[in-house]
Amino acid sequence: MSFPEPLQKLIDEFCRFPGIGPKTAQRLSFFLLSRPREEAVSLAKAVIEAKDKLRFCSQCGCLTEKDPCRYCSDPRREQKLFCVVQEPRDVLRLEQTGHYRGLYHVLHGALSPLDGLGPEELRLPQLLERLSQKEAGELILATNPNVEGDATAAYIARLVKPLNVKVTRIAFGLPVGGDLEYADDLTLSRALEGRREM
Amino acid sequence: MFLAALKLINFRNYDRQELTFHPRLNIFTGLNAQGKTNLLEAVYCLAVSRSFRTNQESELLRFGSDFFYLEGNFQKKKECYQVGIGYRPPRRLQIKLNGKTLKRAEYLHRHPVVVFSPDDLLLVKEGPSIRRRFLDTEGSRLKPLYYRRLRDYYRALQQRNRILKEYRGSRSFDYSLLEPWDQALVKFGSTVMEERIKFLGALESRARSHFATLTAESESLSLRYLPTIKFNGDFELLESAFREQLTAGHSAELRRGTTLIGPHLDDFAVMINGCDVRKYGSQGQQRTVVLALKMGEVDLFNSAGDEQAILLLDDIFSEFDEERSNHLLQFLSCREGQSFLTTASPSWKHSQNCSGQSKIYTVYRGKIKID
Ligand SMILES: [Zn+2]
Repeated sequence: MSFPEPLQKLIDEFCRFPGIGPKTAQRLSFFLLSRPREEAVSLAKAVIEAKDKLRFCSQCGCLTEKDPCRYCSDPRREQKLFCVVQEPRDVLRLEQTGHYRGLYHVLHGALSPLDGLGPEELRLPQLLERLSQKEAGELILATNPNVEGDATAAYIARLVKPLNVKVTRIAFGLPVGGDLEYADDLTLSRALEGRREM
Repeated sequence: MFLAALKLINFRNYDRQELTFHPRLNIFTGLNAQGKTNLLEAVYCLAVSRSFRTNQESELLRFGSDFFYLEGNFQKKKECYQVGIGYRPPRRLQIKLNGKTLKRAEYLHRHPVVVFSPDDLLLVKEGPSIRRRFLDTEGSRLKPLYYRRLRDYYRALQQRNRILKEYRGSRSFDYSLLEPWDQALVKFGSTVMEERIKFLGALESRARSHFATLTAESESLSLRYLPTIKFNGDFELLESAFREQLTAGHSAELRRGTTLIGPHLDDFAVMINGCDVRKYGSQGQQRTVVLALKMGEVDLFNSAGDEQAILLLDDIFSEFDEERSNHLLQFLSCREGQSFLTTASPSWKHSQNCSGQSKIYTVYRGKIKID
């Protein structure tokens, strides 16, 4: 079975998304085609706008409209407290709890040699630079509670040792092996409060 | 707890079959290759959410089918609950308990089940990997923590091996790259070793008494864990011993490009009067040992929870002489838990030992009839 070329192209595009296989890609494509033209245009615009207007903050690495982002440029936030997370979406997750008032640093991944991710693929030099520039007092490691997240935390704890910063790891009542983004607000707040020195 | 009813759809050589079971002993007779073992596998798969014969779920599909489904009713004291296991690739295996979806890790430890098949004889015949597999599958089913630590250990091991392979033979290697994975390996590996040693100790004490009875007290059975990490038996000191020996081996590992010590390479020895059965035991001794080990395992599963284990015996009587068979039959008729037994021998139909306490079925070309 072969689809008309424009349809096949659309399906191929959807197939690039994480977790989307050929069947889902077909369903999404047929759904889009069944809707009025305006909806397709508005989707396309939203994609382009998000892509054009959003970038990664040059300081913390989170997703932002302006650079530096609103967390990095907010003087009311604690300037000597840092929290390291794996993904930009983790920043939003922690913000939703309303319990954290310090600065962020997004690694864009975790150590995983099997996926070709070593220390050089993470934003570690930037972290060291920010920590010493701000004379940070505490660094909270909020990488995911799985083998790779733990290894990344251990690596960073060792890396920042010469800076004499207090290093803590958030406490895991978090679902073991899970991701930060799936933890509920209460669990995440407790994990922050119950952090332990490494 | 016992399995009261089972429905199979497109599972192995069954297209569609519904059965009800006796709470004590269920005997499946029939010629070879008709589907007796497949039926035991279905019971196991329903109770544990995986097979005891393969890790490839696609092998469980009936030839030409694109899905299989198992459904069963378990009776636990007065309550009854329904389990459904469905598989339709490329989707993952689905587990439902009373209609509610569960993850495999949440389900895996729910039902104690012990399988006893002629393959178990390999435990005292073959190399170490089969004994590690025995420790890990049986031990981790008794204890969820063991299962998680084992999974994390193998994950950390794979990550670490990738680094060692990538930098194999390198002269300017930065050892800080290994450090976080060493930490993980030591932490998870120590727990895995500790759990294995404790499991082996508990198994030993139970298997010993069966073995003593089987040999009329003339021989004594012991199990000894053989770790690649040397330590004095004090679990408090295990982590530091592990770390020391791992660090000492760094340069050798870099030369070889892989991790050279740890529980993934460990083994255990089965001994009669202090001699390794694998090297020095007769065929008869080896069979007696395996019988004692499996009955010990059933005792272990029984005492681990308030539930009697379900016992699956696959054509095991063909391996035993009359004396050992009688001992096992005695064991089966005394226990309260449910057992499923397959045999190619028609003499079972007239067995005195299990009359009234059992149900007998005939399996023929993927169809099952009650006798
Ligand atoms: Zn920022």
